[in-house]
Amino acid sequence: MLKKVGGKGERNSAEVAIRDAAFPAPFASGLEYNAPARGPWNIVQTGMLIPQSHQIFACARGCLRGVVLTAAEMNAMDRMSWISVCENDLFDGSLEQNVIDGTTDILRKMETRPPAVLLFISCIHLFNGCDFGMILSELRRRFPDVDFADCYMNPTMRKSGLTPDQLMRRQLYSLLRPARMDGKWINLIGNDRATDESSELVSMIRGAGFGIRDITRCRTYEEYLKMAESAVSITYLPAAVAAGEELERRLGQRHLYLPLSYSEEEIMENYGKLADALGIRAPDLSAAAAGAEKALGDARRVVGDAPVEIDYTSTPRPLGLARLLLEHGFAVRRIYADVFSGEEKSDFVWLQRNAPELAVSATVHPKMRFARRRAQGEKTLAVGQKAAYFSGTGHFVNIVAGGGMYGFDGIARLAGRMTDAFLHEKDTKTVIQLKGLGCESCL
Amino acid sequence: MIKLAVYGKGGIGKSTTVSNLAAAMAEKGLRVMQIGCDPKADSTASLHGGTKIRTVLELVRQRHDGFTLDDMVCVGYGGVICVEAGGPVPGLGCAGRGIIAALEKLGQMGAYERYKPDVVLYDVLGDVVCGGFSMPMHRDYADRVLIVTSGENMSIHAAANIATAVENFKSRGYASLGGLILNRRNVKNEIEKVRELADDFHTEIIGTLDWSETVQDAEPLYKTVIEAFPDSEMAGQYRRLAENILARCGGEKSC
Repeated sequence: MLKKVGGKGERNSAEVAIRDAAFPAPFASGLEYNAPARGPWNIVQTGMLIPQSHQIFACARGCLRGVVLTAAEMNAMDRMSWISVCENDLFDGSLEQNVIDGTTDILRKMETRPPAVLLFISCIHLFNGCDFGMILSELRRRFPDVDFADCYMNPTMRKSGLTPDQLMRRQLYSLLRPARMDGKWINLIGNDRATDESSELVSMIRGAGFGIRDITRCRTYEEYLKMAESAVSITYLPAAVAAGEELERRLGQRHLYLPLSYSEEEIMENYGKLADALGIRAPDLSAAAAGAEKALGDARRVVGDAPVEIDYTSTPRPLGLARLLLEHGFAVRRIYADVFSGEEKSDFVWLQRNAPELAVSATVHPKMRFARRRAQGEKTLAVGQKAAYFSGTGHFVNIVAGGGMYGFDGIARLAGRMTDAFLHEKDTKTVIQLKGLGCESCL
Repeated sequence: MIKLAVYGKGGIGKSTTVSNLAAAMAEKGLRVMQIGCDPKADSTASLHGGTKIRTVLELVRQRHDGFTLDDMVCVGYGGVICVEAGGPVPGLGCAGRGIIAALEKLGQMGAYERYKPDVVLYDVLGDVVCGGFSMPMHRDYADRVLIVTSGENMSIHAAANIATAVENFKSRGYASLGGLILNRRNVKNEIEKVRELADDFHTEIIGTLDWSETVQDAEPLYKTVIEAFPDSEMAGQYRRLAENILARCGGEKSC
């Protein structure tokens, strides 16, 4: 039964003080609201990272709307086709054959055949037990010059197994085939944007004489395929871990998960693991750590006691970032997150003890449709688009998924971005309505 | 690992036959897993005294991902590993989808690697009415399909439908037809009619089971014939059928 949101007697469950919050899910799951902050990438934008690839979606027309609009906005309609699924396909058992015939038709009509096709099936195919393996086998037989990746647009199944984001990041590397390894190359995988060259992560790898391969830097399909030759794959976003594990299993590339962190101890631990993998002595990073401290101090002096709000789309560690900022005197008032990563348990406990009044707000709870969107006389600094939207501030750090900032350098750069955001107001509506931060946009 | 999917018209005696085969194979020292693919979830009842076991779909519904393989299985007579896929609330939902979800969950959780059965028996509800009921035939599940039928026209019709589905999937590398099991109902020209069906699909009758009150007597005891009446003629027939299937599908003969 539908209930009026905000009506009498409704449980106030869209916000909770962290001292009273449950871990890892502080809010009940149910009907969801999607705030118009469109910076986080979706499966279309992630898939487009494979150079020269073409995407084919097989799904009902209603579901096509979102993916087609994404492709259109990023001026990539020439890289997407689709196959409509109709009710009759269920009656006559032609669901599988239509995917095969539709894909064949699309590829035969293309002037230039793409080297790779990302074939997305949807919920209805999975509900009906379609044999995706058989579909792909037949397409590979018909088009031996094309690599086909199995991809999935199955939002109705997202409550179990890998999330669509994790699955897409994993499938993004599924076209890499076993190859002779070159021990002097290292992959950075699972990111939407390149990691800052100034980060210790990049400089340590390059300084040790290794080359870096990253899908965000690949300009041709051949460059992408070269990633199969790297000896190590590094992930630092939780959503990319499944991709790293799969490459280790399938290609034998050593997977190194060095989680993006705001804790000095964990950052040092990560760099220790990296040094071991590179076969070098751990470098002295005290200057980098001091640089991060200085940058945080500088930012604190500018931001002062202005309230700071952080959302989970800006970083996979919103609690870790809140802790770091609180430890450096910032007035962190609110975290926006619907669920916490298990990696954040210790930061959660620290915040419960040291900042019990810190507010935790949902982002998808229906009540957030009516959340305040205007700063009440205070100049609020937000980190992330959703925090900017819900707080109604124009002073926000416009990043998603860590923004390519990593390690001590990442903290210093983030502090610089916070200072800049606090001093220079943005047109929030214009900025956050663009789909896929960093992607081309026709708007 | 021998993987067999047993199909046939509803009420023809699939679960009774499969459970007795499982018991007979277990007697020979084989590790057997029986997976009931029927929303009624009663395929394995005679192997564990008719106790109610949690179905895979119940676990998925109630606990999402929060359950283990051991929660999904019940070890029954002779050490047979019993699993019931389960299904939706009667009259609602999609039974075929239930089978798909249950089999996928078993695969994802590594059931076959963990229990390492010598024989897996899928007991599949009725006819192949939708994609879900063909799931046990898919690659990664059964290698052979066995069809239980009598000489009754409706049973033969259902068996023909199932055999046609197997035939249609031949090019996909799915399970092949392993033969027919004649479960006699003593109708006129029964053996001839079933033999004709076997000829039409270029297969054989790999075993015949008589209609017997012994089977009916075992049912209220919630036991297989093998367990309840081990020295009976019917127990002998089930054992011979099990031997024959193992000989044909275990590599000694083409099945």
